[in-house]
Amino acid sequence: MSKTMTVDILSSIKGATPSEAVNQLFDVIKNAHSNSNNNPNTNVNNNAVSLNDLRDDIVLNSSETEKQIIIENFPREKNGFLVVTKVIED
Amino acid sequence: MESQIKHIHLQLVSKQTTCTALVQEKLDLLKQNTHNTVNSLLDTTALDLAKKVDAKIANGEEIGLLEGIPFGIKDVYMVQGTYTTASSDLLKKYKSAYTATAIQKLLDAGAIPLVKENCDSFGHGSSSENTIFGAVKNANNPNLVSGGSSGGSAVNVAKDYTVFSIGGDTGGSVRQPAGYNNIYGLKPSYGRISRYGLMAYASSTDCVGPLAKSIEDIRIVLNIMSGKDVKDQTSYASQEIAEDSVTNSSTIKTIGYFKNFINSDAINDDVKTAFLSTIEKIKAKGIAVKELDFFEADTLVSTYYTLAMAETASNLSRLDGTNYGNRIEDKNLKETYAVTRSENFSEETKRRIVGGNQVLSQGFSDAIYLKGLALRDQISESFDKDFKEVDIILSPVTPASPPKIGDSLKDPLAMYLSDAYTVGFSLAQVPTLTIPKGTVTGLQISAAKKNDEKVLQFANFLNDIL
Repeated sequence: MSKTMTVDILSSIKGATPSEAVNQLFDVIKNAHSNSNNNPNTNVNNNAVSLNDLRDDIVLNSSETEKQIIIENFPREKNGFLVVTKVIED
Repeated sequence: MESQIKHIHLQLVSKQTTCTALVQEKLDLLKQNTHNTVNSLLDTTALDLAKKVDAKIANGEEIGLLEGIPFGIKDVYMVQGTYTTASSDLLKKYKSAYTATAIQKLLDAGAIPLVKENCDSFGHGSSSENTIFGAVKNANNPNLVSGGSSGGSAVNVAKDYTVFSIGGDTGGSVRQPAGYNNIYGLKPSYGRISRYGLMAYASSTDCVGPLAKSIEDIRIVLNIMSGKDVKDQTSYASQEIAEDSVTNSSTIKTIGYFKNFINSDAINDDVKTAFLSTIEKIKAKGIAVKELDFFEADTLVSTYYTLAMAETASNLSRLDGTNYGNRIEDKNLKETYAVTRSENFSEETKRRIVGGNQVLSQGFSDAIYLKGLALRDQISESFDKDFKEVDIILSPVTPASPPKIGDSLKDPLAMYLSDAYTVGFSLAQVPTLTIPKGTVTGLQISAAKKNDEKVLQFANFLNDIL
């Protein structure tokens, strides 16, 4: 069953509505003429990395300083666990 | 202007000054400044590093060219242990756990970071007014905006509070504030400098960019930061640009400019007249000049903002107060996310996130987002075609002088449209440099992708004739 999600839900921003200024920009795109259709052969900005050039699939351990700062940044922590209010049920 | 980096290096090695005195002087200037350029000062670490440089010099050891040179960092770069706020409420207490690759390379070369610099929140703006630290005031006239989003970085360089600064350019955020404050600012080819540790705004156009007072300083800093990085798989290996190569512009025979930029109703008469006068001076030096056709300004701006908003909606979706950020608790986790984001994002950031989610939604993505991608391909193809005919494309940086503080916030559409001359080069991922000459807000010099050297060569040529 399809469920319509409004932009405030999609964005997790209460009361958010589309902006008139931004809609005017989108109208320009809707009315623009484009002769390309995302054909990968015409994608001149192709920055994809070659399969031969992928980085090694290894786990890099963070330094102690890095781990400590990550823990400091947690908004709430108790006995080594993240504390959140009631989890999402739907 | 001569290289500030070389000048200070000579002063240090000849013991005309100490690094500690130099760093303290800049820290004092930053602390006292009323242009709102500072989000946080790195005074303790800066002075510690300066003492080490002084000790090396006192021991008769050699120091590298960048060793002891004070610089600034836009507050969207990770620097381990420092607050990295993106000028936002959401991250105002966030500390970087690691250091960005580009910044690490500068630290490894011995440069001394002084300050995390004010900017538009998450890079969302063209005026550096969208910030919790107060609007950044223009270096030349404090009633005007500094430009953005790297406004604090541009003003710090213009006022000599930093020798150079590292900004970030997604749609003009280094080049436009450089123009508004009359300094140099480079957006290198996309991928030349690793984006690892630069807080992502629109990943497909985000670039690390230096701001400085001379072409030579831009060259020195660019060389240090460039290179392939396994942590950013869009980065590529590049050749170092030699000092003597940028003083030789003999390979540049033909340049072009977009005639619709200059014939536009939006361009200020002074900018138009000054630009056309520059073109005549270039012709007088025997360089051929071609008028080029290009996309209309509203198409460029709309294509850029469609893609940038879609990317920023995705990139900022992680900012929900769970792993980090200023969490505001509510009745359940979903409500906690929504309240945290609603209360902590600025109006402009929310406008862009909502816009991004609109264009990525079912029913809209084909008509807007995918069409935007197709238009970007056409824009890039147009550049490819042009750079087969011309070596350089020259354009104004902005159609007009900087607006007054307060005006841009009242009219977001006008702010978006003011980016008309910078966003096309971002979409095409080509190297583009602002030089503080030729019009009241400078000129942009662009070359084909990965031809950053040619941009610096032509900048030197223009410096000599303007």
